Formats: sequence, structure tokens, C-alpha cells
Amino acid sequence: MPDNFESFIQQHRDEFEGPGPSPRVWAALEKDLTEQRQGRVVQLLRKNWFKAAVIAVLMINAAAIFYFTGHKRHQQQELSAISPDLQEARTYYTTRINAKLQLIDAYPANELGLDSTARQELQLRNDTYKALEKELKNNPGNERIRAALIRYYQLKLDLLDKILEELQDRHAVPGHTKKQYEVEI
Amino acid sequence: MKASATNLNQTQIAENVIDRCKKGDVRAFHDLYNAYAAAMYNICLRMTNNVSDAEDTLQEAFIQVHKHIGKLERDASVSAWIKRIVVNHCLNTLRKKKVYFEDVEEVEVMAEDGIDEAQFSWTVAAVKSAIHGLPHGYRTVLNLYLFESYSHREIAEMLGITESTVKTQYMRAKEKVRQIVKQQNVTR
Repeated sequence: MPDNFESFIQQHRDEFEGPGPSPRVWAALEKDLTEQRQGRVVQLLRKNWFKAAVIAVLMINAAAIFYFTGHKRHQQQELSAISPDLQEARTYYTTRINAKLQLIDAYPANELGLDSTARQELQLRNDTYKALEKELKNNPGNERIRAALIRYYQLKLDLLDKILEELQDRHAVPGHTKKQYEVEI
Repeated sequence: MKASATNLNQTQIAENVIDRCKKGDVRAFHDLYNAYAAAMYNICLRMTNNVSDAEDTLQEAFIQVHKHIGKLERDASVSAWIKRIVVNHCLNTLRKKKVYFEDVEEVEVMAEDGIDEAQFSWTVAAVKSAIHGLPHGYRTVLNLYLFESYSHREIAEMLGITESTVKTQYMRAKEKVRQIVKQQNVTR
């Protein structure tokens, strides 16, 4: 049974309550909570830095691969789309030129009597060819460049033919050359 | 804003405030804080006996509320849960101040001869002042029982002492308050 003291407290309970805390409590609390949230993000990154780094590298690699493969495909499409007829001519001449180059390459270097620069120049994709190809890409409709490229193939073939003739003459077994020559006639 | 102790259990917070708090919504947590801060601050003030400790303890307690609100079950009493966290923090603050709660020999506490309560007037200010002047141990037990409505058994568990020690401490605390209030009446 409550005594006088306890009864007094029960009757006046609300009067024992004072005002609330000063605003500084919430301000400090809010600051603490914000720091905790930021801390959690930093902690998460710190904890998984290796995974984050690997993911970043993979993403960069994927982007690079996507860019370069896309770019290359675009270039190839561009070449065949620019001049389908030239593509045919190129296939034809390239096959013939490469066949003759193979025959020439079968001879020892000292037999040819050509230095490395001259031999490089004999190859299909020499500097002249690359320059013409680049020009054609930049000016796909330019007939002069197309004609120059075809002329380049023809001159290259003529040159290789002459070199081959000379080599064959020089190394021909007597009689064999004549026989072959006669057959050809 | 003045706290209403009797209506603490009926403190109304919007239905979804707790759910929003659980999702980390700071605005919802501010609403929760506003609903309970005054009542909880008054508990801290009664327990720690000074404004600075009371504010620091309240702040620490609400950090814990924020941290563990995800564990609060849907049907649990929000006010009782927050109050328990606040009270635990108050006890930690007292322990940091080297206030120890120890078992005492159970003795019957008799009202001092000559104290006739009918002859002096109880006032809120006089009782507040008397409680303020109590030793930490007495004041803690008296506050928890009389103002926070915890049972002797619950207080014993919180303080890590026996229930009989709690009862003895409470009786002694009441007697001490009576003496102080009587003294104030005499000197008036």
C-alpha cells in the first residue's frame, strides 16, 4: 500500500517532468549518424578494395576490347563497302603477286643481287601501296586513286615477271630453257 | 517541450516511422527522436543528476537505438525498448563515475521517530531537491522503482544485486527523502 510519499509522487507524476534536451543533442546525433554512414561506405571499399580494383580493370578491359573490335569491324566493312569491284581486282592481283614473290623468295638472297631495302620494296604491301590504300579510304569515290592502285598492281606484276625471267635464265639447265621456251611458243 | 511520463506508452508515432528508420531514413529517425527525446532526457537527468551527463547519455543511447532498430520486433513496445536502452546507458554513465551497486545486509528500516508526515507539506520542488541530494545508489533505486516503474526484481537484475538489497535501498532512500523534506519544512 503506497505511503504518503509514494501517493504524492503518483498524484504529481507529470510535474516531475521538465523540458526536453537542448537542440545540440540532435545536432551532435545527426553529425554522428552521418559520419557513421560515410564510415560504412569507406569501410566497405577498404574491405573489398581488391574486388573493386579487379572489377574496375575488367570494366576498362571490356570497354577497350569493345572499342577496338568494333572499330576494326567498322574499318573492314568500310573497305568492302567502298569499292566491291576493286576488292575483286585486289584479290586477283594479290594472289598472282604473292605466287611470284614465293618463287623469287625460293632463290638465295645473294643470287638476287638485291639489298634488304630493295627486297622490301618488292613486297606487295610496300610504302607506295599503303599510301594508295590510305588515300582510297579517305577518298573512296576518287577514280584517279583507284586507277593508280590498279596500275600499281600491274607494274608490280611486270617487275616480278622480269626478275623471275632473269633468274630462270641465269639458273636454267642448258637445253631445258630452250625446251621450255619452245613449249611456251 | 515538456515530457509526459504517464502518456509515454501512448506516445504516438506515425505507423511507418519505425519501418522507415529500419531502412536508414534519417528524417524518420528525427521524428522518432522528437517523439521520445523529452521523456528520455528526463530519465537521464534524474539518473545522472546533471545536465551535461544527461545530454551526453541521451545522445549515446539514441546512437544505439539507431544502430539496433533493425532488431526491434514489429509487435514490441517502442517506448519500453528505447527506455531500456536509455536506462542501461544511464547505469553505464554512473559506473564510469565509479558508482558501484553492492549487496547490503537486509535490515528493517524504521521511520525515524518524530516524523509526522501530516505535519509538513510535500511539494514537487522539495521532493526534487531531496532526491537530487541523495547518494547515487539510493537515488538510482528510488528513481527506477518510483519514476520508471520497474519492479524490485527487474532493478535487481539491472544492477546485479539481490532483490532484498533493492528493497532495503529503496526503503532507506525513501526515509532519507522524508528527513530532507522535513528538514526543509523546519527551516522554512
